[in-house]
Amino acid sequence: MKKILASALMGISLCFSTVAKAEIDAAKAENFVKDVTNSGIEDIINANVSQQVKDERFEKLFNKALDLNFIGQFVLGRYWRTATPQQKKDFIAVYRKLNIKTWSARFDEFKGKDFKFIGTTPSNSKNQIFVNSTVDMGEGEPAKVVWRVKQSADNFKIVDIIIENVSLAITARNEYTAFIKNHNGDIDALIANLKEKTK
Amino acid sequence: MKKRILSTLICSVACLTPFTINASQQDIHEIDDPYEGFNRVMFKFNDKLDKYILVPAAEGYRAVTTPYGRERVRNFFANLKEPVSAVNQILQGEFKNSGVSLSRFVINSTLGLVGTHDVAGAWGLKREEDGFDETLAKWGVPSGSYLVLPFVGPTTPRAFAGTVADGFISPVYWVSEEYEDGGYAYVAYVGAKAVVDREALLDYTKDLEKNSVDYYTTMKAAYIQNKQKSYNDSSNENTVSYDFEFEEDIEYVE
Repeated sequence: MKKILASALMGISLCFSTVAKAEIDAAKAENFVKDVTNSGIEDIINANVSQQVKDERFEKLFNKALDLNFIGQFVLGRYWRTATPQQKKDFIAVYRKLNIKTWSARFDEFKGKDFKFIGTTPSNSKNQIFVNSTVDMGEGEPAKVVWRVKQSADNFKIVDIIIENVSLAITARNEYTAFIKNHNGDIDALIANLKEKTK
Repeated sequence: MKKRILSTLICSVACLTPFTINASQQDIHEIDDPYEGFNRVMFKFNDKLDKYILVPAAEGYRAVTTPYGRERVRNFFANLKEPVSAVNQILQGEFKNSGVSLSRFVINSTLGLVGTHDVAGAWGLKREEDGFDETLAKWGVPSGSYLVLPFVGPTTPRAFAGTVADGFISPVYWVSEEYEDGGYAYVAYVGAKAVVDREALLDYTKDLEKNSVDYYTTMKAAYIQNKQKSYNDSSNENTVSYDFEFEEDIEYVE
């Protein structure tokens, strides 16, 4: 009896996981990332416009393509639950600003580079998928870049970028929670430190 | 010299058993670090060495070389690792890969002008790097906790044992053993390789340090993730998977 129950349960959970994984459209998710990288290369890197216009375009693309609320909430870990609404708002705002500043400064490094898309990998999380790509950086082996994409209705957003197996979200979560822990749980200290970095 | 290497290796392996990277004990996404106090002191020490010796050397090396030249040098050092990979692949039962590594070494050492050109790669024999750390992983030896050692940098007991063993397998070590002053040549080789490896990471680490609120933790997270995922095929121990599950509903704040 136990065996029958166990196999029935297993069967049900398998069905669920298949359904969960099937909810995201892999081809559409890959096309979404392709569009984001193409638009970054054509409308920003290769565009013959001033740096200011490039920065504005980058910010717009960044906000459109990435779900910073999702990522920000994840990287704050257990401290998200204890943060006040104002701290949450301030953290997401400064985290967004820092990311835009960091990435737009380094974006030109992708000049003349091409992302090669090599398929997708399913995620254990509902409505999410990993889009795999490589980019030839000129020297050494091509870099492996994986984009974690989340779908809600027909809307796609990037929720993590994994470069050479290193997840930006997991790295930031380790870093930020360690900082808060070493500052006696003071979330404002982290926000102040990040604000300094955006100046 | 041989005795010292062997005893270090034995000690490192003996140290392995009590520690494991166990990401599931607390927050599943935070890397377990029971020796954090010691590690942070060592990290500071290494950071000073890096800033005052290794980085200036790497920048100097970059200033006097072209990207083309540096690629040749990187190929040269990578070629010397092929026999190490080949031995480890045999130990792992990966005989086909071992044959590829050995063929690559023979082809690139000759037609590739002492390994500076990857002729074998152009023929479809792709580099598959393996070390004793991967071999131990395949044999089921746990990696042990994160560790920062002076002069070595981020490692784990298993990775350190792997580095020592790989040094012992390296053809450079065996050649240097043949000569009276070979020990100096071996140290020069290790130093030159450190400068070449550091140069490749210059821009990356500068950016990482500038944007980090806790550089020690950033390096730890990057090291462990990069290491663990590369053992996907040969180790079944806990890894810090980047396929993390989100714990709660998203709360949108703007």
